[in-house]
This record gives sequence, structure tokens and C-alpha cells, in this order.
Amino acid sequence: MKRKKKLYLLGDILGILAAAIVFIVPFVFMLVNALKERREANLLSIGLPKETHWENFIEVFKANDYQILTAFKNSGLLVVGSVLILIVVGSMGGYVLQRRKDSVMGIMNSLIMAGLMVPAAILPTIWVLQKLHLYKTIGGMILVEVALQIPFTIMLFRGFMSSIPIELEEAGYMDGCSRWKIFTTIIFPLLKPVTSTVIILNAVTIFNDFTNPLYFLPGSENATVQLTLYNFMGQYSSSYNMLFADVILITVPMLLLFIFFNKRIVDGMVAGAVKG
Amino acid sequence: MKKKIVAVFLCAAMVTGMAAGCGSSSDKKSETSADGNETTELTLLIDTDVTIAGFEAVAAKAEEEIGIKVKIETRPGGADGDNIVKTRLASGDMADLCLYNSGALLNALNPEEYFLDISGEDFVSRIDDNYKSAVSVGDKVFGVPYQSSQAEGIVYSKTLYEKYNLEVPKTWDEFLANCDVLKENKETAILGTFADSWTAQVPFLGDAYNLQQSDPEFAEKFDAGEAKWATTPAALRSFEKLADTTQYYNEDYLATTYDDGCDIMANGEAGHWFILSQALSNIYELYGDQVNDLGVFAVPGDSADDNGITLWYPAALYGNKNSDKTDAILKFMEFYLSDEALDAYSEAVLPDGPYCVKDYEMPDNAYDAVANDIQAYFESGKNAPALEYISQVKGADCPAICQELGSGQTTAQEAAQKYDKDCEKQATQLGLNW
Amino acid sequence: MERKKIYSNWFIVPAMVIFTVFFLLPMVISFFFSMTVWDFNSFTFCGFDNFKTFFSDTSLSSSIKNTLIYAILTCGLKLILAFFLAVFLTSKIKTKNFLRSVVFFPNLISTIAVGITFCALMHPSKGLINQVITMLGGTGVDWLGNTKTALYAVILTDVWKGVGVATVIFIAGMQSIDKTYYEAASIDGATGWEQLKAITVPLSRPAMNSVIILAFISGMRTFDLIWAMTGGGPGYVTEVMASTVYKQYAAGFYGLSTAGNVIMFILIAILAFPLQKFLLSREVD
Repeated sequence: MKRKKKLYLLGDILGILAAAIVFIVPFVFMLVNALKERREANLLSIGLPKETHWENFIEVFKANDYQILTAFKNSGLLVVGSVLILIVVGSMGGYVLQRRKDSVMGIMNSLIMAGLMVPAAILPTIWVLQKLHLYKTIGGMILVEVALQIPFTIMLFRGFMSSIPIELEEAGYMDGCSRWKIFTTIIFPLLKPVTSTVIILNAVTIFNDFTNPLYFLPGSENATVQLTLYNFMGQYSSSYNMLFADVILITVPMLLLFIFFNKRIVDGMVAGAVKG
Repeated sequence: MKKKIVAVFLCAAMVTGMAAGCGSSSDKKSETSADGNETTELTLLIDTDVTIAGFEAVAAKAEEEIGIKVKIETRPGGADGDNIVKTRLASGDMADLCLYNSGALLNALNPEEYFLDISGEDFVSRIDDNYKSAVSVGDKVFGVPYQSSQAEGIVYSKTLYEKYNLEVPKTWDEFLANCDVLKENKETAILGTFADSWTAQVPFLGDAYNLQQSDPEFAEKFDAGEAKWATTPAALRSFEKLADTTQYYNEDYLATTYDDGCDIMANGEAGHWFILSQALSNIYELYGDQVNDLGVFAVPGDSADDNGITLWYPAALYGNKNSDKTDAILKFMEFYLSDEALDAYSEAVLPDGPYCVKDYEMPDNAYDAVANDIQAYFESGKNAPALEYISQVKGADCPAICQELGSGQTTAQEAAQKYDKDCEKQATQLGLNW
Repeated sequence: MERKKIYSNWFIVPAMVIFTVFFLLPMVISFFFSMTVWDFNSFTFCGFDNFKTFFSDTSLSSSIKNTLIYAILTCGLKLILAFFLAVFLTSKIKTKNFLRSVVFFPNLISTIAVGITFCALMHPSKGLINQVITMLGGTGVDWLGNTKTALYAVILTDVWKGVGVATVIFIAGMQSIDKTYYEAASIDGATGWEQLKAITVPLSRPAMNSVIILAFISGMRTFDLIWAMTGGGPGYVTEVMASTVYKQYAAGFYGLSTAGNVIMFILIAILAFPLQKFLLSREVD
């Protein structure tokens, strides 16, 4: 037993060491360079800055007429809107898809799973958005993100549903609950663990999405945070201090979300992706 | 890059200043503007790679004089930028003004559909005729030149040339001999900045003068689908020259960016750089008079007697046909071509070559390389526009093809064939019958 | 049965409506436009010309090859690394919660940011990676510039970024394995390695299948990271299908680009669906 304990301690040490090299070094690298002066940052070394330039962050805020503030607002709306819709439609969809196994649901199921694999057709999507007068609006962008994330979300919910005993609903039905009530009062509360997983994974994906806003949400007043970073790549191609300061600023919200939901990610995955 | 940061902050400061001063200044404006109109605001879509200091100087003047304020929207350069321009045009969402290449690339935008035809305006007569044809499709004219024209040639380090007793080469072989000398002495003979893949095209595109001298009808035949790059010896030669450069590049040329290149040249750390002469402005902004340690010569041909330079025409400002402010757009364009505006522009940014406006002289304080080297090619009449300003078709994948050839992955022949294929796609899209 | 009464079809309608309008419909339309020369406002029908152009283009055939290399390698590496990471992170080490967060963390950063950072780390002369190599006495590699290493450098970055999600899926799978199996096995005197082979591997198969499918598909569709790190270059050595499609699109060849989209769709479908079938059939055994 003593030998085993030593082994685990060794594991701890090795694990921390490996994690430090492979995963922590890049972050330290970003952070120290975000605090350097331009020329020093462009040497791309991981040494501590000679002087710390916190004002880099302020400059990032000021750049392009405080564009990053607008961008945070847009990205925030986009993430909150999409994730809320995804939770509602995804949980309802996953629920019936798992419980009903008739041919209609079979077709729906394969269609949705196809969406997991197939890349989106971009130009025709713009065409559709225009016909609906949704092009260039946050609303339209939200709906596109929802459409793109529905397959994965439903997969998670559907997988999780299989771990919920069917007797619960049958009991509810016997008691005379309506279908809607069965879902909202019995099922949905039980979906809490997987809902957390859905929130964090979708929020990260949508917040970090760069390609789709590039297509569907043009215009500087519509910029999202990833687009500001992309603009920065052009403007500050040799000012790594500004680039990394921007990177750090736009990573913070996801980091906070992660710290908040961290513990629940695994719980949701257990049933969602593993049993799905 | 410093100049860009400065420009951005100036821009930010200006815009915030304007916004803050808006309430009080708008009534003042209507008094001062020539015909008593309120300030009109136009939007301009511009890429982040161009210098905007000159434009801003003009825009500030325009607000004062004609009551038109221009709000800048930025987009990335390169393929993503093209994409944004094309998508926004196609979806009817273009800004009032749009900055975009002239020549074949303009042609690929299908300008008749989207841009304001200015051929009926008086001010068009001020535009240089060659340039005018580069911003025209048929009888319709669409754009006014954004900045001065540039040379597409070789920037070289006079310091290194003196150190090793080199002379400006008149033929391609002499040029390679110079490179060999530099290489033997462990200097970087040719600076490659292929991380910005557009720079990889310069040895190839900059050879246009030589191509047009040895095969004057190539452009025409090429547009008609009769001549191909791979089967026309004079055209293939341009690719061969690019292939020749492969062995002379700096070690990390595939990771070196255009901005890095400016630093390297300014510090005399490389002998030659195939680039547009706009690099001189960038170096000037960073290093001041050190820019005069640099000279420019043309991509040499095969005969010493006929040595001429390739001109790269500036991008143009185009008006959005579907804007509801077309009057203001025209007025702004007219102003942009006025002597007053040109003075304001060249006061802020020195020219990288002659202007594309008739009867407008270059200011005499230009950099040595522009005032002496480039000017000489003009006085002797030995210059020609790059092929994309004469021909209708430029392949969209030119940067990648050149990058591939320049890094020694393909032969000149293979690259030429690839480029022919690439042009064919463009021709199909344009509805040409090849 | 009563099932139909409890579970109304209406529940799936909101999801299906959004999914159909913004995903399926554009996809169907794309089949039509892939056979045209299209500039968004007008189109000319051109039959299968776009497909012919695509297949006669040498850069496309190499992009299909690159896509497959990318998908298979990222998938394989993530699978193996994530499996052992998960075994390690479900063991009794004290720092497992901290390490789990660390491994997952790269997933929170946007691909563009990861691209910028690794381009800097892999810079041939100034980059940290090469400096360490030189310090240890080796010679640095021009990771993204050398035509032989560029694709693999991007693949490794992708693995770095994506291994966290795969690990979490595995952890989830391993945690749901009944502990009594291990207890029984160790009473029978099975070594750790034997337990791993006889219990962990077969019982985490559902998790493994999820990892394979998700990693493989995201590998096939990869775009952002390639675009941020190499833009498909130098030349065409890191060009993948999605970037080829994007380049045609950026050039304004909308019909051609849509055709590329359709080719990509078909290719993914003929690889991914059988793969999934195969994996599921093994799961039942």
C-alpha cells in the first residue's frame, strides 16, 4: 500500500510537470508578452517583461474607437440568445427523439445527425437570411448558430434522457398531468447536469466562432470579439504585445464561465456523449 | 507596426473628437461649408494594409470645405478581405465608398452591377489615361486613384552595394551575379517575406515591362484565350525568374512578414527585396532618413539596352451605385482629385511614385529612391503598367502559386500551367469564351 | 401503447423548423447552385463543369489527401492521448481536479488566438520551441515554413487544443464503470495493466466511439486553425478541403465553391456514416 501511495505521488509530480510544459507554458507566454513593450514582445521570448505595460490593455480597449466594447455586447447577446434557444428546443427535441422510436422520429434523427457531420452551405444560407430580412441582424445570426449547434445539443440531451427511468413520466401521466407539464415539471429539472454541459460547450463554441459571424454579420457595428482579434491580426501584425493583450481580454469571459461550470461538465458528458 | 498603431489611434482620437464635438460643431459647419449644406456622412470600406494618414488628411479637409465627413470601416486584407468585399456587394450591403484594386481584380467584381459610373463627370478628365482604362469597363469609368502609383521592382541596400563594390544590374544575369557575391559573403542576398504571400508575387508580376517588350501582344491574346503562360516563352520567363530567386532567400523567409521586411531592409540586413515601392513610406515612418540608404531598380530583363520598370497602379475609391448619397459621393470624388486634396495628401504621406492625375507634379521632397531612381525610368519613358492593368484576367490564386514556386516546390513550367488553370476559372466566371 | 399520448410530436417541431430553414434548406439549394456559374444575383447553368474543374485541379486532389491525413492523425492522436490522460486523471492522484481543468483549458481559447500563439512559438529563429531545441543541442525546424512539417505542425496544435474535450468524454465514460469490476479483478490478482485491458478498454467503448466520431468529423471539416496558422501555405501543402472551398468562395467563384461544398459533403458522408455504423455494431457485441 505504501508503494502505491508513492506511485501516486510520483504521478502527481510528473503530471504537474508535464502539464506545466505542455499546457501552462503557452499561457504564460501570452501573458508575459501582453505586458511588454512592442519591440521586446516581438522578440517572442518567455522572459518576464523589463517593465510591465498594463496600458496595453487600455490601448486594446481604445483601439478602433472602442470597438471591443461593442464587440463584447454583440458577442454577449449572441451567446446568451443562442444558448437559451438551444436549451429550450434541444431539450424538447432530445426528449421526444429518445422516447419515441417510430419511423418519423427515425427520419428526424438521421437528418439531425447528418447535421453533425455535414459542413454548412454558406452562400445559400445568406440567400435565405436575406429573403427573411434577417441578414446582418443579431437575430438572424442567433438562429444560424442555433441551427448549427442543434445536432450536438440534441445528441447530448437525447443521450442523457436514456438514463432517466421512463416510469417517472408514466406515473405523471397516470396522475393526469398534461404532456407539457410532464416535460416541464418532471423531466426538465432532471436534465440539469446535461444542461450545464450544453451551456458551457455551446457558449464556448459560439463565443469563439469566427467564421460564421464573418459571413453572416458584416459591418463594424456588428463585430464580435473574434472579429476584433482578426482585425488586430491585420493591424498589429508585428505588435505581439497588443495581439496577446486582446487574446487575454477575450478569453476571460469563457474562463469565468468555465470556473463556474467546471464540475458539471463531466456529469453531463457521462450520459450525453457516452451513452448517446 | 508603429505607423499603423499611430494611424489607428489618430483615427480613434479623431472620431471620438468628432463625436464629442458634434453638437456644437454641426451648426458651425453649415456656415462654413461652401453651399451651406449640413454635414453629410459617408462610409468607406477600407483594408487594414494601406496607409490611411494621407486619406485622413484629405478627409479632414473635405469636412471643412465641402461638408462631407467620411467614416472608415476596416476590413482585413488578402483573401478574407476580397471575400468581405464580394459578399457585401453581392448582398447589397456595401458602404458608400469602397477601396479596391484597379485593373483585372476590379473587373472580377463585376463593377457595372455595383459601382457608380462616373464617366459623365467633368473631374474624370483629370485622371491619367492609362489609369483611367484600369478603372474602366467598356465606356464606363468607376474609380478615382487613392494614392500615388508605385514601382514594382527591387529595393536594394546601397550600403551593402558599396561594401561589396556592386553595380546596379542591367540584366538578369548581372543581378544573379550580384546575388552570388552577397551570398558568398554570408549576407542575405534576397529578402523573402513570404509570410505575407502577396509579396511572393512581386518577382513575377514585376517582370511585366520585360514581358511586354518581348511580346507586346501577349495581354491581348491572353484575354482572347489564345496565348497561355506555359506556352509563351516570354511569359514563362517571368516564372523562371521567380524560380531563380529560390536559392538566395533568408533562412526564415516563409515566416518573415512584410512588416519584418521593412525593419530588415532599413537596418541594411539584406541586399535586395522584391517589393512595391510603398515599402519606402513604411520604412520612412519607422526610421526616418535611413530610407535614403535604399535605392530602387527594375526587375532586369535579358538585354542591357532595354531596362524599364513595372508600374503598379494604386487602388481606387469606388462609389456604391445603390447608395442614397450618390451626390455626396460624386462631390467627394471630385474634391479628392483637386489640387488642394492632393497637396493635403502628399503633405501627410510622401509619394511612392508619380501620381495618376494629369498636371500634378510630384513634391520635390520625395525620398531619394523615388526622386532619383524611379523618376529616371519616367523621364526616359521606360515604364509599363503591370499586366493586370492591361489584361482583364488575373488568377485569384496567384499568391499561393508564386509562394509554391518561390519556395522551390514546383518548377516554372508547372507553376505556369497551374496559373493558366487558375486564370481559366476566372475567365469562366467573367463569362469569357476560352 | 400509450407512448404516443405522452410524447407529442410537437416537441420536436421548434428544433426542426430552425434546423430546416437555416441548415437543410440551404444545403438543398446548394446542390442546385453547384451546377451554375453564380454571382449571387444571376446564374448560368453549366452542368457538371464545376465538378470537372475541381477534379482536374491538382491542388484539390492534394487537399483531399491532406484532409484525410489531418482527420486520421488528429483523431488517432486525440484518442490515444485522451485515453491515457483519462486513465491518469481518474486515478487516485491528488491534483486530478486541477489537472483536469488545465487539460480542458485550451478548449476555451478561440482558434484564432491559438493560431497566433503557436505561430509565435513555432517561429523558426525566435520561437520558443526552436530555442529549446537548440539549447538541448539539436537544430531547429522551420515548423510552418518547411513543406514537410507544416501540416504536422498544425495537426499537433489541433491535438493540443482538442485533447481536452476527448479527455473529458473518456473521464465521463470511465467514471460510469462499476467499481466492483476492478475490486473483483484485483482480488483475482490482475495487474493494473491487465485491468486496463480487460475492464477499462471494453467498458469505455461508447466513450471511445464518441471521441472517434467527433474528432474525425471535426478533422474533416477543419478550417479555422489552418487559416490562422498557414492560410493553406506554403504553396498548397496545408490546403484542406474547407480552405479550398473558402478560397474559391473568396475569389468570387460562388458556383465553384458551392460545388466544392457538395464534394466535401459527399466525401464526409461516405466516410463518416459507415464508420459510425461500424463502431456502433462493435458496441453491441
